[in-house]
Amino acid sequence: MARMKFLCDSERCIECNGCVTACKNEHEVPWGVNRRRVVTLDDGLPGERSISVACMHCTDAPCAAVCPVDCFYTTDDGIVLHDKDLCIGCGYCFYACPFGAPQFPQKEAFGIRGKMDKCTFCAGGPEANNSDAELTKYGTNRIANGKLPLCAEMCATKALLAGDGNMVADIYRERVLKRGSRPQTWGWETAYKDA
Amino acid sequence: MKMKIPTLALLLAALLAVAGCSDVTVYEPGVYKGASDPLVEDLRSDELRSSLEERQRKQMDR
Repeated sequence: MARMKFLCDSERCIECNGCVTACKNEHEVPWGVNRRRVVTLDDGLPGERSISVACMHCTDAPCAAVCPVDCFYTTDDGIVLHDKDLCIGCGYCFYACPFGAPQFPQKEAFGIRGKMDKCTFCAGGPEANNSDAELTKYGTNRIANGKLPLCAEMCATKALLAGDGNMVADIYRERVLKRGSRPQTWGWETAYKDA
Repeated sequence: MKMKIPTLALLLAALLAVAGCSDVTVYEPGVYKGASDPLVEDLRSDELRSSLEERQRKQMDR
């Protein structure tokens, strides 16, 4: 059984924001909600790096662990999804997520957050596949059509990879071997360069 | 006897109220409570799986 994962190769990401735009367009994501965003480290300085961040579909998802109404579920392939009919918009998942993936439309009065929205790995939700209800609540279900997430499939530099974790790791390993070293975006030298 | 009828009525009402509490659903914490997703079943089909794997291989072209 595959274990679906995203991986952003910071050496290739050129901060074009194409993945962000593709996601918003494909799923008709409302204003104020960004399921995916590009984060740039050391912006404008030599050696700046960008990474595209969305829900990482954690193996032991902290959002699911803290949800008081248990609206999260994980498919056999490790895609973390949620039921908007159960969500009460408490925001616990937002505080638990280390990637800032859960988003809230904040459309209602008195600061009520509304139903949580996040990246679905283009796998929709618990509604019937490709139904109007699913499209309205969760966006397009590309996985049911045998397609990978659009953000990764349309990435011009192939910086953003999606699919089975083993296959994604193989692609990245091959690239690192060709380059001769792994990027220092993360790791000891970046974190403790002054130590 | 006058005192007994209201007392009995109250007792009966209390019994009925407590009887209503017996039909309580206790939910298991940490277990998904929503509707089942048809995609979970669909993803077990070989056809869909091979289609996804083919798409994944296309990411190796560069």
